[in-house]
Amino acid sequence: MSQHLPSAALEEKKRSTPFSTPAREEAKPLLARRAAAGLGARLGLVGIYVFLVVMAIFALFPLYYVVQASFAGAQNLYTTDLHLFPAHFTFANYVTAFTQEPLLNWIGNTLLVCGLTALCGLVCSTSGAYALARFRFAGRELTLRALLTLQAFPGLLALTAYYLLLNALNLLNNLLGLVLIYSAGAVVFCCWNTKTYLDGLPIELEQAALLDGATPFQAFWHIVLPLATPALAVAALFTFMTGWNEFALANLVLNANANGSNLTFILGLYSLQSDFRTPWGIFAASSVIVSIPLMLIFFFAQRYFRSGLAQGGLAN
Amino acid sequence: MPMLRVKRRTIVAFLLPMLAMMAVINLWPILYTLYLSTTNYSEFTSDNYRFIGLENYRELLFSLDSDLFPVLWQTLLYVLVCVGSFLIVGMLTALVLNNPRVKGLPFWRVLLLLPWAAPSGITALIWKFLFQYDFGPFNQIGRLIFGPHFGIPWLLNPTLAFLSVVIVNVWLSYPFFTVVILGALQGIPGELREAARIDGAGPWQYFRHVTLPLVTPALVPATILSAITTFQMFNTVFLITQGGPVVSALKPGATEFVMIYMYNRILGATVANPHYGFIAAFAITLFVILAALTYLGSGLGTRSPQTSRFREAQA
Repeated sequence: MSQHLPSAALEEKKRSTPFSTPAREEAKPLLARRAAAGLGARLGLVGIYVFLVVMAIFALFPLYYVVQASFAGAQNLYTTDLHLFPAHFTFANYVTAFTQEPLLNWIGNTLLVCGLTALCGLVCSTSGAYALARFRFAGRELTLRALLTLQAFPGLLALTAYYLLLNALNLLNNLLGLVLIYSAGAVVFCCWNTKTYLDGLPIELEQAALLDGATPFQAFWHIVLPLATPALAVAALFTFMTGWNEFALANLVLNANANGSNLTFILGLYSLQSDFRTPWGIFAASSVIVSIPLMLIFFFAQRYFRSGLAQGGLAN
Repeated sequence: MPMLRVKRRTIVAFLLPMLAMMAVINLWPILYTLYLSTTNYSEFTSDNYRFIGLENYRELLFSLDSDLFPVLWQTLLYVLVCVGSFLIVGMLTALVLNNPRVKGLPFWRVLLLLPWAAPSGITALIWKFLFQYDFGPFNQIGRLIFGPHFGIPWLLNPTLAFLSVVIVNVWLSYPFFTVVILGALQGIPGELREAARIDGAGPWQYFRHVTLPLVTPALVPATILSAITTFQMFNTVFLITQGGPVVSALKPGATEFVMIYMYNRILGATVANPHYGFIAAFAITLFVILAALTYLGSGLGTRSPQTSRFREAQA
């Protein structure tokens, strides 16, 4: 394999003239060769389109199925025959989902948890990252290493300890308990990403500001934060997204009340689906309602994600 | 590297929020789990539990009816099958999406990356319905073709349940690999293809000797990362199978991977007396394995000969 290095290939291309190579191909008449190649290429292209269509069906089918099911009446779903289009188009599932299930509460709770997680994680990770990037102190290297080691420990492993901890803090069955656990889980990644980003920013501006009499906090707030916006966006999104799908810890911390209005959406949807009295159409409608804002956030977030990560230099 | 000269107070003030949070919410639970793993703490002994040294670890590692190795084995198998499939599907889709002869590339790209944007917890619950025996559309399609008695017990048969959670995970994860590989493919200079063609390399040779070596540096970290996430996977699998189907009360379910196993032993509906101490020992053992894998992985990611070769090629 080592003989076929790309650089070697380039070298060879430089040495050989375009006229020296067709010599090998003289065995077949040129026209026949062209025709065969064209047919092969066309067959290849057909194969590629077949593959694309199969993959598109694979990618879209679950999403399509849930959307069409959300518009179908209940009798349409609980048959053993296949229905790929709703026979009776109806919004009844959406109406039921909004009026009889605490859907808005679930969305509200999830946004609250994720929003507070992002805020809390951002404050802790950014200030910490700034200290690690700009200040010299004993134990700096040790802190960086400790962060990396802690990150290898998945929070789920300490389920019992979390339960006792939240119990001691009186945060069981409280959304704030979840906020605490989620933001601690995201803080290491964010701190590292932001620190690497800050390492790439010039320090001279802050030095000048300090000479002019600014406090370190003013330098941090007025100079560093505006420059670090892409990295902060990544950190905020990352922390926001750690919690929105999480099931195990949420299930540990939150106990459903009588109508389940204190849950996050994933717990709520799970309870809807495992409860056999709830028609699947209502679950489908609820899923669609919950997914739309999340998918919008994702598409909006995506471009920030790329630039902030690339410049944050996670690859190093 | 130049640093700012500031008072010690300032340094402490900047570091304190993060360190306090890490100490209470990351470090303390780990240390407490470590401590628990050396006790016989369980629901029934919660008032008078005691230190029992490494007894839990002995039972976990050397006892014949220990679930550790079966659970680890099926988790590793899951990781291998999943990551292998991610690589194959991700590579194929990326190659196709990088092919300039395909019409409407942006359209296909959005379609194929859509599973990435959908919230994974919700899609797991959707897939669960798709696999449902009576009303799930997969069996409905089968009945349309093979007659009314057709039915695949997707989530009821151990092997098929394993396959089902593999399919769902591939659906969820291949877009990440597509994006990573596509990014690397677009970084390959066009002259290389021309040069290879002139040298008489066929498409396979080009793929094998030009594309693959150039894409590998981007693939190694992505593969390690996704192997570690798959190893720790809880959400998707739990939402679909809860670790089941359970064929015997003495054996873990066919999709009971490490995290699900732990969760079920603590919060499972059938567990009357959770052995917190024993599970803590399980958790610490897993942590050691994960830390070792992460360490090995980071070494691979940064020091692989492929990476340095890629850097040389770029320089």
